[in-house]
Amino acid sequence: MERAAQLNPAAWPSEDSIPIVGRGRSTRLFASTLIACACLSALLAGWLPLQVSVITVFLFAGPHNWFELRYFLMRLPVRFGKSRNFFLVAFAGLGLLTLSYISLPVLNSFNLLPDRLWPYLLASWNTLMLLWIAALVWLRGKNKRARNWSAVYPIIFALCSLNWLAPEFFSLGIVYLHPLVALWFFDRHLARTRPGWLRIYRRCLCLLPILLLLMLWQLGQTAALPDDNGLFWRITQQSGAQLLPNVSSRLLVGTHVFLEMLHYGVWLVALPLIAPLANDQASKQPVPRAIWKVRSVPVARHPRGFPKLITTALALGAFVVFLLWLGFSTDYATTRDIYFTVAIAHVLAEAPFLLRML
Amino acid sequence: MKTTFSICFCLLLLTAIPAYGDIARPQPSPQTPRIVLHTSLTIVPDNKAYEARLQISQSSLQELRAALNDTNGNSIAGGIMRNSTRTMIAGVFMFLSLSFAGVWLARSMQTRGQKIVASLLLGTAVLGAATIIVQANAGPPSSFYWKKLSQNLSHGASTSGGIDIEIVADPTDGRGMKLIMPTRPD
Repeated sequence: MERAAQLNPAAWPSEDSIPIVGRGRSTRLFASTLIACACLSALLAGWLPLQVSVITVFLFAGPHNWFELRYFLMRLPVRFGKSRNFFLVAFAGLGLLTLSYISLPVLNSFNLLPDRLWPYLLASWNTLMLLWIAALVWLRGKNKRARNWSAVYPIIFALCSLNWLAPEFFSLGIVYLHPLVALWFFDRHLARTRPGWLRIYRRCLCLLPILLLLMLWQLGQTAALPDDNGLFWRITQQSGAQLLPNVSSRLLVGTHVFLEMLHYGVWLVALPLIAPLANDQASKQPVPRAIWKVRSVPVARHPRGFPKLITTALALGAFVVFLLWLGFSTDYATTRDIYFTVAIAHVLAEAPFLLRML
Repeated sequence: MKTTFSICFCLLLLTAIPAYGDIARPQPSPQTPRIVLHTSLTIVPDNKAYEARLQISQSSLQELRAALNDTNGNSIAGGIMRNSTRTMIAGVFMFLSLSFAGVWLARSMQTRGQKIVASLLLGTAVLGAATIIVQANAGPPSSFYWKKLSQNLSHGASTSGGIDIEIVADPTDGRGMKLIMPTRPD
C-alpha cells in the first residue's frame, strides 16, 4: 500500500531511454560540465573568498532552500504506511532540534548561562542530533531488513565521543561537511535515474580532494583576510578562524565558500535540470516540467494527495525567499546571522530523506 | 516574462554588491579569567631563604608556553586536559562505540580471524569501561591536600597539591601574581 503511494521508479528515465549514439556524448558533456563548474568554483572561492561568499549567500541561500523543500516534498509518500514511525520521529526530531538550536543564540544574547556551560550545551545538542540520526537508522533498518544497518551505531557513538572531547570543532565539522551531503544526494539520484552517469560522476568526485589540496597549497601560507568590519569578521568566524587561529583565514573561508558553491550548484542546477524526477506515465519519457507547477509533485498530483497543502508550503517558501532577499538588501549581516541559525532545519531535514534513498 | 525575469535578476545582482565595509565589528566581551594549565605545586618552607622563589621545571615551562601559544585557550588537547567531566562522557560513548562495533563484527563476520578482531574490540571496550570507573574514582579534589598547609608550614613540612594556572586581566593595584589557596572546612 505504502509502496503504491510512493513514486513509481519504473516511470523514471532510465539509461535505455537515451539513444545509444547520444550516450557517450551526453556522458562526456555531463563530466566536462561537472569538472568546469568545480574548477571555476574553486578559482572564484580562492581568489575573492569574502566577496564571493557575500554574493553567493545573497543570491542562492534562499532559493536553494526552496528547491530542497520542493525536492523533499517530491520524495514524500502520500501515505506513510509502515514508515509512519520513521516520519514521526523524523519530523518531531526536526522540530525539537531546530527550536533548541535557535534558542541557543537567544540564551547567549540575554546572558542567561555562564560561559563555562556553553561547551556542555553545544555537546548535548550535538549528541541529541546524533542519537536522533541513530534512531532514524534503526527505524529505517526495521523497514528495510535486507540491508544491515548495525555498522552505523558504533560510528555514531564514536562521533558522540569525539563531540564531547571538542564540541566546538564538531560543530565546525558539520559546517564543512554539510555541503558534501548534497553530493551524496546527487549520487543516489543518479543511481536511480541515470545509472550510466554514475561511474563518471564518482570519478569526477575524485577531483574534489585534489582541488581541496590545491587550495591548501595555494592559500595555506597566505595572510589572514581583513576582518576589521562586522560582516567580514562574521564570515571568518563562521569558517572557524577563531577555533583555528594558526590556519590562514583565507584558506578557511575559501574552502567553505567552495563547498557551499558546490552545494548550491547541486540543489539549484544539477538535481532540478539534469535528473528530473517525474516522467510522463504513458510515454515513459522525461517530460520537462515547470518547477513552479504544483502538479509535478506526486503528493499533490495523487488523487488522495494534498494539493492545497503543497501549494501553500511552496508559496510560503517562495515568500520567505523574497523576505530573505529583502533582509539581505537592508541589513545583510543580521539577516545572514539569522539565516545561518534557522538554516539548521534544512541541514537536519537532509538526514531522513537521505536515509530513505539508501 | 523572460525579460521581466532577467531584469529582476539583474536588479538582485546589483543590490547584492553594496559595500558593507562600515559595519562595526562587535565589541569584544570583557576579559574573563581563563585556566590555561592544570599542574601540581609544592610549597616548601625554608628557614634559610631570604626571598620567596618560584621554581618551574623545564617540562612545566614548555607546557605553559604551549598553552599560552594557543591564544584562545581552545586547543583540543588543552580542552581535554582541563575538562574531566567531558572526557568521562566521551569515554562512555567510546565504550559504547567499541561495544557495538564488537557485537557488529561478531554477528556479521564468521571467520576465525574476524572473531579474534571482534574479541579484541570487546576487550578494549571492557578496558575502557574499567578506565572510566577508575578515573571516576581518581581521588579527592586538590582542596583536600591543601587543607593541611597551615599545619605543615608551622611544622616546617612541605605540602603538595594540584594547581590551576589562570590568566586574568591586569589588576588595578599593580600586583603581579596572586596565589589563591582553598580553605574549605571539613
